[in-house]
Amino acid sequence: MSPASPAEASRLAAVRRYAALKTSSGAAFDRVAALAARIFRAPFATVTIVGDDTVRVIAAHGLPPRRGLVESLCAAAVRHGGPYVVEDAWLHPHAAGDPAVHGEPGIRFYAAAPITTPDGEALGSVNVMDVRPREAGDEELACLRDLAGLVMDELEARLATQHTVEVERELRASAERLARTLQRTLLPPALPRVPGLRAAAAYHPVSADEVGGDFYDLFPLDGGRWGFFLGDVCGKGADAAALTSLVRYTLRAAAVYDADPHAVLANLDAVLQQEHAGGEAPAPYCTAVFGVLQPDGDGFGVTLATGGHPPALAVRANGAVEPIHPVGGQLIGILRNPRFAQVSARLNAGDALLLYTDGLTEARTPSGSMLDEDGLTAYLAAAGPTSADDLLTAVHDLITELGSGVSDDTAVLALSVPPATRTPSSGSLGAA
Amino acid sequence: MQHDNGLTVSLQSPTSGPRLLVVAGDLDHHTTPRLRAALEEVEFGPGADLVVDLSDLTFCDSTGIATLVAAHQRAADAGAALLLAGLHSDIARVFQIMGLDQLLSLYDSPEEAVRALSK
Repeated sequence: MSPASPAEASRLAAVRRYAALKTSSGAAFDRVAALAARIFRAPFATVTIVGDDTVRVIAAHGLPPRRGLVESLCAAAVRHGGPYVVEDAWLHPHAAGDPAVHGEPGIRFYAAAPITTPDGEALGSVNVMDVRPREAGDEELACLRDLAGLVMDELEARLATQHTVEVERELRASAERLARTLQRTLLPPALPRVPGLRAAAAYHPVSADEVGGDFYDLFPLDGGRWGFFLGDVCGKGADAAALTSLVRYTLRAAAVYDADPHAVLANLDAVLQQEHAGGEAPAPYCTAVFGVLQPDGDGFGVTLATGGHPPALAVRANGAVEPIHPVGGQLIGILRNPRFAQVSARLNAGDALLLYTDGLTEARTPSGSMLDEDGLTAYLAAAGPTSADDLLTAVHDLITELGSGVSDDTAVLALSVPPATRTPSSGSLGAA
Repeated sequence: MQHDNGLTVSLQSPTSGPRLLVVAGDLDHHTTPRLRAALEEVEFGPGADLVVDLSDLTFCDSTGIATLVAAHQRAADAGAALLLAGLHSDIARVFQIMGLDQLLSLYDSPEEAVRALSK
């Protein structure tokens, strides 16, 4: 292949710009070919784009789809500038050797109008062919030029559409990046190491570009105790994200001041009530579980308070799954004199505890019913997870199985006490 | 999940007995302003009660919950009762987890709610 002239290089650049279009074929171009053939009362017509060494047929009439004829003439037509007519190909120096001329179907007549970009580059042509030598009328050639113009308009429109789609995609990708960054600031980067405890957490977003309001944390308190929480701020997007930060920092600060779980939730409630005092209705609220872990022998004492949140589930060393749920806790932040209920329990060696947000329990099962606490309990009982990591895997598998039945984000925090190495685990005390 | 059932809200004021607000469809952040507007039209006072018929409510998100809670508080402040009736079991379950069953009066049907008020 010889190096292209500057003019040809510029033409090929234009061809590449338009040829990159995945949609540069289709019904619109087929109709143009059919119309060209009818106007000339000729058996064959094509729409072709000429690359540096290929002639691409984007529409064909009277021929097998996407098959061309007289490629030598199509290539000559784009370099001609204006309508190009060969009245008898037998008498034409380049075309006489073309297999479509001396062989089947025996093309004699060829007429083409270039498909020219607004800045004057010929991308290809609309071509009409006949098996007998003939002349082309002025009216016919004018129509052919108009048809080539239509093809160009269509290519332009598709290029503009593709550009819009690319811009859209780029905007979307940057929104997703922002959402992921924001989400990371709302969740702890890593859970701390707690002696004698395994902790694991996961966040399952439904949509990559929408920030949810789920949150969790695990952090040290005085006297060897540990605080943990998990919850869900109502709403989505930037407002929910701002409220989520407020909730997280309030919970941590309140726990340093007074780690009693009930007091911590009451404190959060007071802060949220103030946050939207006199603001626009409806006021934002959250639901949360807050707990304190107190090392005790080979396990932990757990005190849990809940405000309007689904029950935490304990998976006992013997495989039993039971809720650790103080009855009667209410929504945080919008009720007058809300109740926050508290309960104490123990996590013995081999026991695990799962906290989750309602994206999980409000998911729809294939039968259309809500999974609910019962469905989750049954799933965990069957899966038999024995550690925090196992629990997370089980929840991950469950969310995967539920598929499109899950319509909200789900955060999960799992804690487990490693099984005793020598003695089998003693009986567990359930929810007090 | 797409919630595109829309929402219809209509207030019925019978000559005797409590007013009835019938809410049907999906209550989400797009449609809740319509419920809020309808509730703001309702004047509460001692004996001027409201039964909200939610029998055909198909979905209720956090903004819907907050709006119902706010209306309940406004009614209570005015010495009136706001009763919710006919809540679908899934939505009732969510209300229960949020502890709202202790605050809001939930009835199986509007008729039952009206009967409770006449006692």
